[in-house]
Amino acid sequence: MATNILRRAASSVMRETLLTGMLRRSYASVAVGSDIVSAAPGVSLQKARSWDEGVSSKFSTTSVKDIFKGKKVVIFGLPGAYTGVCSQQHVPSYTKNIEKFKAKGIDSVICVAVNDPFVMNAWAEKLQAKDVIEFYGDFDGSFHKSLELGKDLSAALLGPRSERWSAYVVDGKVKAFNVEGAPSDFKVSGAEVILEQI
Amino acid sequence: MAPIAVGDVLPDGTLACFDAEDKLQQVSVHSLAAGKKVIIFGVPGAFTPTCSLKHVPGYIEKAGELKSKGVDEIICISVNDPFVMKAWAKTYPENKDVKFLADGSAKYTHALGLELDLSEKGLGTRSRRFALLVEDLKVKAANVEAAGEFSVSSADDILKAL
Repeated sequence: MATNILRRAASSVMRETLLTGMLRRSYASVAVGSDIVSAAPGVSLQKARSWDEGVSSKFSTTSVKDIFKGKKVVIFGLPGAYTGVCSQQHVPSYTKNIEKFKAKGIDSVICVAVNDPFVMNAWAEKLQAKDVIEFYGDFDGSFHKSLELGKDLSAALLGPRSERWSAYVVDGKVKAFNVEGAPSDFKVSGAEVILEQI
Repeated sequence: MAPIAVGDVLPDGTLACFDAEDKLQQVSVHSLAAGKKVIIFGVPGAFTPTCSLKHVPGYIEKAGELKSKGVDEIICISVNDPFVMKAWAKTYPENKDVKFLADGSAKYTHALGLELDLSEKGLGTRSRRFALLVEDLKVKAANVEAAGEFSVSSADDILKAL
């Protein structure tokens, strides 16, 4: 239902911008070898939290630098909390493979979406994933915009969101990077693919 | 836009929700409110505490009493997408009467003049907390909270206007 809307929206956009889309992908500000911290200077994410946690932490944010510097991070982004593929396939693919990521020395497995941190928190709890992987909100889309991974999903009534993507980042340097052709696809951004790339 | 006030005509706008068959629908506010007595209450955010623990439950509990006083529709709106609104509504399995509608782009909240910037809480542009009593598209009561407050927009408060 919603995935059909996404597919239709994505395919009409693809039809119009097929060539330019491919060109744009090659100029996207993040690719293997790029530095994710310098691609998103001054950008912060908000760790998924309850309101009380927000109050006691004074609604603190975490800078992209603190998330990536000196760490081995696997991060994946998805269009929206509580939506179909995100809930039923994308997050579970990472939570059920968490031991494999740990065995490869990954410090953090992070899920990020253009949602507020309170929605991310409630969703993480619903998926019983809150204690398994980390969830961050990119509430104003600034992180995804900096990486040129923002996507207008107004046709699916989601507004400005993001592509579906995954990356393996070591000390801020992108070692592997995968983006789906359409946000409703789930072919290259899952855990199994990136595990092979680590 | 100046905040909506008593005597104003309720502006039309489009809100989103999932219907009983779980299909995404866009709903016109006028189609819900024309010729009827409706209560529209707005909350800053799904899954945030005052909204979840006090504001919404108050309307669910008092729905019967509100309906006995001639209220046809009780509508909760928030600047969230319809997927989030649906998930939030599901956390109230006892609810039969309150409709949860999504103003994902904040367009309708803006038309009501009730938007609020909550970026420093990680929420972005949201709605003020408010409750409106509207009869055949004429605003009869407009109770808008000051930021952080919860003293004029509850179900008990709006019952006083009926």
